Amino acid sequence: MFTLSRRHFLTTAVAGCFALRFEAPAQAAQTPKRGGTLTATWGGFEPQALFVPPGGGSSPYFTATKVLERLLLVDNELNFRPVLATNITPSADFRSYTIKLRENVTWHDGKPFTAEDIVFNALQYWKPIAAGVALKALTGAEAIDKTTVVLSFDTPIPVFFLKSILAGKSGLVIPKHIYEGKDIITNPANNAPIGTGPFKVKEWVRGSHVEFVRNETYWNPELPYIDRLVIRWWRDPASRAAAFEAGQLDIGTFNPVPAPDIKRLTSTGRFTASQDGYLGAAWVATIEFNSRRDIVNRPEVRRALNHAIDRDFIADTIYFGQARPAQGFIPSTNTLFFDNKIPVYAFDQDKAGKLLDAAGFPLKAGSRFKVNLVSAGWFEENVKLGQYLKQAFEDVGITVDLAIPDRATSFKRIYTDYDYDIAVSNNSGSAELVPQWTQFVTTDGIVKGAAFRNANGFSSPKLDQIVEKLSIETSTDKRVALAHEFQQLVASELPITSLVELAPSTIARADVRNHSNAADYMDESWSDIWLDR
Amino acid sequence: MRRILLRRLVQIVPLLLGVIVMNFVLIQLAPGSFLDVMTAEQQISDPAMIEKLRVVYGVDQPAVVQLGKYILSVLQLDFGFSYRQNAPVFDVIVAALPATVILMLASISVAIIVGVTAGVIASVKVNTFWDNLVSIAAVFFFAAPTFWLGIMLTILFSVRLGWLPVGGMRTIGGTHGPVADALDVAHHLLLPALSLGLFYAATYVRVMRASMLEVFRLDFVRTARAKGLSRARVVVVHVLRNAMLPIVTLVGLQLGTVLGGSVVIEAVFSWPGIGSLMLDSVMSRNFPVVLGVLVLSSLVVAVANTAVDLAYLKLDPRIRAR
Repeated sequence: MFTLSRRHFLTTAVAGCFALRFEAPAQAAQTPKRGGTLTATWGGFEPQALFVPPGGGSSPYFTATKVLERLLLVDNELNFRPVLATNITPSADFRSYTIKLRENVTWHDGKPFTAEDIVFNALQYWKPIAAGVALKALTGAEAIDKTTVVLSFDTPIPVFFLKSILAGKSGLVIPKHIYEGKDIITNPANNAPIGTGPFKVKEWVRGSHVEFVRNETYWNPELPYIDRLVIRWWRDPASRAAAFEAGQLDIGTFNPVPAPDIKRLTSTGRFTASQDGYLGAAWVATIEFNSRRDIVNRPEVRRALNHAIDRDFIADTIYFGQARPAQGFIPSTNTLFFDNKIPVYAFDQDKAGKLLDAAGFPLKAGSRFKVNLVSAGWFEENVKLGQYLKQAFEDVGITVDLAIPDRATSFKRIYTDYDYDIAVSNNSGSAELVPQWTQFVTTDGIVKGAAFRNANGFSSPKLDQIVEKLSIETSTDKRVALAHEFQQLVASELPITSLVELAPSTIARADVRNHSNAADYMDESWSDIWLDR
Repeated sequence: MRRILLRRLVQIVPLLLGVIVMNFVLIQLAPGSFLDVMTAEQQISDPAMIEKLRVVYGVDQPAVVQLGKYILSVLQLDFGFSYRQNAPVFDVIVAALPATVILMLASISVAIIVGVTAGVIASVKVNTFWDNLVSIAAVFFFAAPTFWLGIMLTILFSVRLGWLPVGGMRTIGGTHGPVADALDVAHHLLLPALSLGLFYAATYVRVMRASMLEVFRLDFVRTARAKGLSRARVVVVHVLRNAMLPIVTLVGLQLGTVLGGSVVIEAVFSWPGIGSLMLDSVMSRNFPVVLGVLVLSSLVVAVANTAVDLAYLKLDPRIRAR
């Protein structure tokens, strides 16, 4: 209980800090200025293509969303706001949805955006390529008139669920006249996408930057405020900090600079740091236990091992405070579905030892048993996380064989070969739990060779049933209850749980206004960002 | 001379084959495949789709067949297709080539000019303050990690003084004719070329100094002095030319690595070169690009070695006699 209240105190205190730093009232009172060039970056590398239709990770999504829009967006309070759709209404049985589209929208090449585009996207792009199982119930899409589409499903579909997909990673709207009849995944247009968004691609210089210019015929004539957007990539965080200081970089999302530099930059007063704008893509570091392996397939062992982990230490030391200790698999920032009554495994080495004794694994010659720990080496923190966990488990008498393979090997060991006892990986998802969070534990989430799915082999008819209900229940209250039931079960069986919730920072020059104002800001169109110079 | 050229050309063929076979085997042995990375990144979970991609990428066939196909297509100067960049491998490499070649040639030039000059000064003023200064500087630039030096130079010249840009190769959106463009690139090139060049120069200085001191002791130098030639003429014409041979060897070795680029310097200065492309390709197991770069590099190594042999002939006529 103490940890809970302290955490609440901490989050409130942190939120207060940022409100102060942002001077929110002053920002709201000013009228936006037009013009200027904004140079942006993020804490990662160049994408493989500006737009990767099935997703492709954070980097291509960052560039694609400046050009391609979605029907809706989610704001920082988890409310949906209209973008290309002005209204989405379910039928009485929730088996069909009528989508009213914005009028007078044109693609960057001048062709009109119509209901036919949405029909094409729903049936040819979203369902088969982008959303996958999430839209398995979609049976048809029909254009009623130029700006009305009806989507039909073979089961009831919750409103929040559908809107989350439309506003989420798999809901980008691509032009039918460019993609129809050609392979979407290898279409050359993916390297110079044509969309309805506030920015048009001008030039992509591989290895350096992509330049976007203002779309003069954007459907909102007020927007975008800036004339030119440049997304540049630096491979080295220290160089990004130098670029900020030299005035050659205006905004960087997702931890652009080393954590110790954040304080140095903000203390000059020339830069601001914000942790807003990451609700819709909450990142966690996860630990999972392979149900196919002896010893770690037993929930009592998993619980004991969780008591051996000091999550506060991980957040403070490994992540330099850029993370919060997690209380369960689902991030606590998910204000809609997070259940704060799930069992929490406080750091207690004695208790861990006693639980292991009780489970039938007493210390023999200094060791209880041996495990293979695989920590996916795609983030630098995962390297330290793996080393820390090895230490923490050894402290309670478990011999640990640690491997921190590179990206390709990690995918293979964890998600293809299931070659581990305990694995450290990551997940990122929106507030909606189905399927982005549930597929880590459902039986249909076990797909050999598919990354970021159920690799731990957990299969429980009871849990499958809960998720099945969750995906067709249309009452919000009942969905919340089901989500809580889901979290209770996962927290007691522990096939997977989160170690920390990442709290990434956005660093911006003090004269960059109106940013970080959506749940997944990095992946918004940035039409309303402006420069106060 | 023609014999040397001919012999080198004939040697290139087995060299290329060896490079291809060895690297192909190494890539096959590395755990995780291009297919794993691509499906993971694209979040593909449909087994039918994964199977389809396996055929598209050509990894459904046995490794020996893949290797044979690759050798055949390289013989037809076709380096394959990179599905990651959605473009032919040759185009992908050529796009990154100019940046790499400019950076490497500039840094090697810096290394030769700084290294040879400092080496000559150190040897002429041997065991004086100047000699010690050059030695200390050489040790410093050799020992200082290039990324650290790069960041320090950036902080000094770009952040504090604001004279030079932080990374990149061109000013974004600013093209005003070929001369302005060249100056712009040179402006961006200065720091990366300097940080890499000074690192190389450190070796050149040491080799040049040792080689000069050795030649100074030889009989013909004493003869030249006895003839009454000026000190400068003795140093430049008699000693320097004879001391150049080890430097030419070093330059030859370094020219061979030009295509590899420098991953570290490219990362610090976000220089759009081949080093980063190569790193990404290895990490994503994108073997057509890795093999393409390696095949082109081995060609460059062969050509550079031939050029070094020819330079030996020019510098030291005695070699021809043997």
